[in-house]
Amino acid sequence: MTWLPDVPDGDTDWDRVAALAPDLFASIAEVVDTTWDHVDPVLLELARLRIATLLEHAGELSRRSTRAAEAGLTETKVAALPRWPTSSEFSDGERACLALTEQFVLDANGVTDEAVDEVTAHLGAAGCYVFVEAVSVLETFQRTCLTLGISTLPSVDRLVGSIASGAEEQG
Amino acid sequence: MAPRISFPDAPLGRWGVPDPSGVAPEIKAARRRLRAVAFAMTNVDPVTTELVRMRNATFQQCVL
Repeated sequence: MTWLPDVPDGDTDWDRVAALAPDLFASIAEVVDTTWDHVDPVLLELARLRIATLLEHAGELSRRSTRAAEAGLTETKVAALPRWPTSSEFSDGERACLALTEQFVLDANGVTDEAVDEVTAHLGAAGCYVFVEAVSVLETFQRTCLTLGISTLPSVDRLVGSIASGAEEQG
Repeated sequence: MAPRISFPDAPLGRWGVPDPSGVAPEIKAARRRLRAVAFAMTNVDPVTTELVRMRNATFQQCVL
């Protein structure tokens, strides 16, 4: 539960804290939403869950992307995520993306040319660029939530979907 | 430092290196809107904001 004082009622910590600065949190959610539109949802969900493990963000670990599940991500594969370097569940491309994700989170200065080349070999230059953007967004999002004590969040899809429906209402 | 991902057709950005953000203009636009909202907030004074930005750049070894 968030440590922030005087937050209004809400279904989740995210909802309650977002009510304090709705424009800012709507913008954060929009950035997160946009990244999901540009990256393979399975790759991004694997990255999101790996980031959550490294940052020990229990709230993020308990959520799942419906988009990723519909694209074929199984709980068996999610359960094997800690063993991604050796597990047969993962393709070479997924391993490359997870290696880059881990290094990005632990120390971005430690990302090597080889790690980027591996991802580029599988996603192409544009795909690699967008994937790094997406990892950056998700890592920042999770660190923000951890710092503010936001431990309960809407589902991945609700956060994404709420922006889309809001835009439709405004349009 | 040279960019790790080659974008020979990308326009040069303000630092004279190729700017690939045109690959995903929607992400660029969303980030820009977030930055605008954050900077428009007056809860944190600009001096503290700048100190935090520069300290973070030091931690990240970001010379830009």
